[in-house]
Amino acid sequence: MSIHPGTAAKRKAPDSQSSSDAAKVRRRSPTRVNPALYLFPLPAVAVVAFFLVMPTLQAFQYAVTDWNGFSAAFNYVGLDNFIRAFTKDSLFTNALTNNLKFVLLVVVAQTAFSLVLALLLTRNSRGSILLRALFFFPTILSSVSVAFIWKFIYDPNFGLANSVLKTVGVDGGAYLGNDVQALYWVAVTQVWFHSGQMMVVYIAGLQAIPKELYEAAEMDGANKWQRFKSITWPFVAPATSIVVAYTTVQSFKAFDLILGIAGNPPKSALDILSTRIYSTFANSEFGYAAAQSIIFMAMIALVTWLQRRLLRLTPKGE
Amino acid sequence: MSQISRRQAVAILGALGFGAAAAACAGPGGSTKPGGASGPAAPSTGAVTGRISFAHWRGEDKAVFDELIKRFAAQHGGVEVAQDISTSNDYNAQGLQKVRGAAIGDAFATFRGAQFKNFTEAGIYTDLKDSKAVGNYQKGLLTAGQNGNNQLGLPYQVVFPMPMANVDVFDKAGAEIAPKNWDAFLGMCEKLASAGVIPISWPGGDVGNGGQLFNCMIANNAPVDDMCAQIEQGKLKCTDDWFIKMLNQYKDLKPYVQPNATGTAVEPAQNLFSQGKAAMLATGSYHIAAVRALGAKFPMDLVFPNTTSDGNGKYEGAYNATFILGVNSASKNQATAAAWIDFLSEPENAGYYANQTAQHVSVDKVEYTNPDLKRLSPWLQKKTALAARFQFQNLDVRNAVEASATAVISGTSPEQAAAAAQKIVDERL
Repeated sequence: MSIHPGTAAKRKAPDSQSSSDAAKVRRRSPTRVNPALYLFPLPAVAVVAFFLVMPTLQAFQYAVTDWNGFSAAFNYVGLDNFIRAFTKDSLFTNALTNNLKFVLLVVVAQTAFSLVLALLLTRNSRGSILLRALFFFPTILSSVSVAFIWKFIYDPNFGLANSVLKTVGVDGGAYLGNDVQALYWVAVTQVWFHSGQMMVVYIAGLQAIPKELYEAAEMDGANKWQRFKSITWPFVAPATSIVVAYTTVQSFKAFDLILGIAGNPPKSALDILSTRIYSTFANSEFGYAAAQSIIFMAMIALVTWLQRRLLRLTPKGE
Repeated sequence: MSQISRRQAVAILGALGFGAAAAACAGPGGSTKPGGASGPAAPSTGAVTGRISFAHWRGEDKAVFDELIKRFAAQHGGVEVAQDISTSNDYNAQGLQKVRGAAIGDAFATFRGAQFKNFTEAGIYTDLKDSKAVGNYQKGLLTAGQNGNNQLGLPYQVVFPMPMANVDVFDKAGAEIAPKNWDAFLGMCEKLASAGVIPISWPGGDVGNGGQLFNCMIANNAPVDDMCAQIEQGKLKCTDDWFIKMLNQYKDLKPYVQPNATGTAVEPAQNLFSQGKAAMLATGSYHIAAVRALGAKFPMDLVFPNTTSDGNGKYEGAYNATFILGVNSASKNQATAAAWIDFLSEPENAGYYANQTAQHVSVDKVEYTNPDLKRLSPWLQKKTALAARFQFQNLDVRNAVEASATAVISGTSPEQAAAAAQKIVDERL
């Protein structure tokens, strides 16, 4: 059992001298701070409470109502909105399936592609730096611009993709107009958009690996693949952890890209959770949209946690 | 000042969080707005001064409205009207929330159908029944802005959501521009295809514009005029014979739309038409100005895909009365907002708007000088059906029903497409 230093000082204060000493002890105590200091974070706390905590709590409250977003009247419906989302709303389950498929595609492709780019461009030569800048460039574009660029590329009549194919005598496709393929084409856009950013994370990780390890491995006769497997991959695990987590959240929230490329509302083949929530809000079903938002939040948390568990990207104790 | 321990500080922060939670529990909604179905009348008198916001989605009309605002300001010294423009899809999705608190939209416009209904239920409209403006409109075209005995909005535009035709291409191909029945329509498409042009440019990749053809296809196929409302209510079904017949007619169109039509956005579809590569643009007369801006010089007309087998259909075309003007019940400057609506509704100003934007208006005694409007004016007298797709109140239902047509064009069987649409409808009953 620990005794609070301040309390102990109080017990040892029979006269004024001792009392003064005790006050000094109190002032110097590492567990006591000037209360005025607690006022400093208040503006930040207020902002977080007002813009983050309150809306989140409100979402939980709306989620158990049938509120339409503008009426003063509403009913509490318990968990009906959550049950409806999973059992009576094929548009929501379709969006969920699309989103998980999109996340899987983008996470695998973007992680692999950005790692390959990073491996090729790790050295700080002039050419590498130029190429890094080139690959990083899409990241600084707005997602709406990216959506419009790729919308033009995929246009079956005047688009770049079909024009190029036509020059070599191949008939192009409908791209976004093909319900089976549409999601894959948007995934290509997303990977193009963000791989440069992830490449930078990997390059930072790769440059931190001590060169001596590779020299020693080379002397032991390890080939390129063995060096990658035994040195590079384990050492870039923290970078991979960042890339995978960030890409997952990014892919779940590809709202602006999908809306820009597929229009509002997107057709069901391109509907993901964030666009479905937006459509539900637009359809004046605020209560139901709030429930969908909570499921969305839970889904991101679950998938991120599962990824970290499955990929074992977080060493024990960290 | 006494000192506090960390534990006390945590307790204070906890209390703050609890306070935020309590605030969040104040309940959704919160206030009942004035107005609504029997809302207050917009003031017919009052000082026309200060600044108002005019919220709408017609970015392409901005310059025309700017000119009208100048003229309005010249009449009322010191008045300012700011246009708050969103894209049509965003306006559809967020218009109500933006206008509701009157941060924008002292005067505003709404789409006919679900959006007008939601604005009405939210009590955003004032009643314009006794306004000066209402007397300037053609009575038959005012119904889209009515709720019971109240005239909450004034439908400003009259548009024809029917395929537009390049008359020169039709003449060259010897194709009939006014087919009497479905076989004649397909025969017309065949002639156009034989002449080496794409008969129909259809933006199947754009839900909003691609869906306009639906208004024509359903008009004479449905057993009742409120067919879409009845589908939404479960009284009619997408799996009914008449609906399947309509989807089969969409299937007939497949060889006559451009290749990969389901992936075509509206701008490329307009380009195919304006460049003379396609004979028809299956959107509507509201795209005339855009097509002219792309350089189209040819004369244009409208074509009604008459789906009847004997030519004895109830309707000869489809129209929509939309861009429903209203005065915000929460506006602090209703007098100026009402004066702005009155101003827009005067025949001279409505005529300026119509001729500059190449869109007909519901205002009476307007002189159309724009050659395209002049050419299409006979359609104002024809027996046209009020665009059915705007009967849908639920956007998910509307999109699902219209998506069945897109699915058929992309190769799904009409029966399968109808069943998929009906599933969504059933889930929302």
